[in-house]
Amino acid sequence: MIQYAAIILFVFGLYGLFVNRNVIKMIVSLNIMEIGLNIFIISIGFNYEGIAPILTSTTANGLIYVDPLPQALVLTAIVIGVGTTALGLAIAKSIHKTYNTFELDETGDAE
Amino acid sequence: MSAILLVAVPLLVAFLSILTKKFAPYLLILVGLFNLVMLFLLQDGTVIIGGFDQPLGINLFLNLYSRIALLLINGLIVIIALLNIREYGKFGSILLLAMAGLNGLVLTVDLFNFFVFLEISGIAAYLISASNKKPTNTFQYLALGAVGSSLFLFGLIILYAMFGTLNMSAMITAITANDNYTDVILPFTLMFIGLGVEAKLLPFNSWVKGVLGNSNTMSGPMIASVYAAALSFVLGRLIDKLFVFEGTLLTVVTVILTAGILLGDMMAFSSKKTREILLFSSVAQASIIALLFVNGILAWAVWLIVANALSKTVMFLVINKAVKDIGCDETKSLRGLFTNNIIVGIAFTLATLSVMGMPLLVGFIIKLRFLTSLAALGQIWLIAIILIASLIEGIYFVRLLVKLWFKEDNEISVKYNVSFKLVFVILALALLVFGTYTAPYKSITIDDSVTEVILSD
Repeated sequence: MIQYAAIILFVFGLYGLFVNRNVIKMIVSLNIMEIGLNIFIISIGFNYEGIAPILTSTTANGLIYVDPLPQALVLTAIVIGVGTTALGLAIAKSIHKTYNTFELDETGDAE
Repeated sequence: MSAILLVAVPLLVAFLSILTKKFAPYLLILVGLFNLVMLFLLQDGTVIIGGFDQPLGINLFLNLYSRIALLLINGLIVIIALLNIREYGKFGSILLLAMAGLNGLVLTVDLFNFFVFLEISGIAAYLISASNKKPTNTFQYLALGAVGSSLFLFGLIILYAMFGTLNMSAMITAITANDNYTDVILPFTLMFIGLGVEAKLLPFNSWVKGVLGNSNTMSGPMIASVYAAALSFVLGRLIDKLFVFEGTLLTVVTVILTAGILLGDMMAFSSKKTREILLFSSVAQASIIALLFVNGILAWAVWLIVANALSKTVMFLVINKAVKDIGCDETKSLRGLFTNNIIVGIAFTLATLSVMGMPLLVGFIIKLRFLTSLAALGQIWLIAIILIASLIEGIYFVRLLVKLWFKEDNEISVKYNVSFKLVFVILALALLVFGTYTAPYKSITIDDSVTEVILSD
């Protein structure tokens, strides 16, 4: 079920990115999209009965564990997302400095 | 010595060069030359990182296909860096980052690692495009690039959930064993769209006009030649082995790519700005290359990438330098550019004619060969479309050349440095020499080489 929530969040972010023309709102949409994607990745390895993936620890049902690889991937994806956001904000600052606005439509040279 | 140095050294030096900003461009050139030397010394084969063999660990794979790609990428970066050393010296660290990202992209066998390198090279590309001083266009590039790489990540995570591995060769084995093609349509489509954004394929490339239409002597050749070539190489590798397009998906992809060829050339035809003509022409060429990979014509697609990268480097350098000196890129204001710059004019003309596929130049041999291969596959419609596109291309390029060669009453003076002229002459001579002397690259059989790119064992 959690996958659906993640996909809805991803689509919200994508929608926001294409509908908004304000640079800051676009960056926020980008972040929402990335969070949706990260939750989706986590949900791939998640298991309701699972425990920490340590070889010696078992439950009554044997060793059912949460897949640790997607969690490791999400860590990397978060770091990359932060990098992209930081760069986006730096460019937003430069847009504001050049055109004195955050609206792409008001800058004059946006397609 | 292992192929990991091709990624690790530029990455390490990129961070060190921030401490000594003055030396960054020199460090970049040194690292580029180091990589070129390494490419001749390294043995083909798989590099195992951290002692984890396939399919658990991250592996790099070097063979003829990746070697050609890496020689082209590193060689062109060194040339572009040398030409812009004074003006864009502070971009040295960023070009080092781009070098690390693109080298990794070509070498890696692990899909998540591929995504990481895609992001590293992507962030470097946004920063390179920032040198155009058009922040809105850079921002649009960043937004689209972020969506593209997110879709790619989405696709690869679905593949991981289905097959439980991120290693390409293990995944190919699993997909073949599964033998149910409808399962993988969604992830393949997402990954293809994701890469299509960076590889300039229509309709995912709305950033190209803003970024390349305002490019300079560094960002133009970097994005239009180096990035385009690297992305075409990796797209080719993935199309050939991982994305097995079949049935409806094959039809959809073929239609998208043929539409890309025709629309790209038509947009170039209707454009009055010189840089837009060049960029739309490269959009059409990117679609042709992807189409060749989809049809399995690997060797000629590879040589087309190489020839295009060399031609586009010359063309973007010539035009962007002229636009910088004159301050306007309307074709009519560049009239008579070559009347005082005959050597530059001849080099530009040779590069343009090669892209058009005129005899005696390398573009002709490649075009002839891939059209013959398409005919052997019975793809008559594709040949017709490529020929129509070539006709449109011929018209707008000849029109452009005539305008650039013959002046009216306006007087323009653009001075090209000796270093620029030297690069133009060498690249144009290469296009001419390999157009007549075809033995070296005809004898190399890349087809087998591509096949073993991923199936390394």
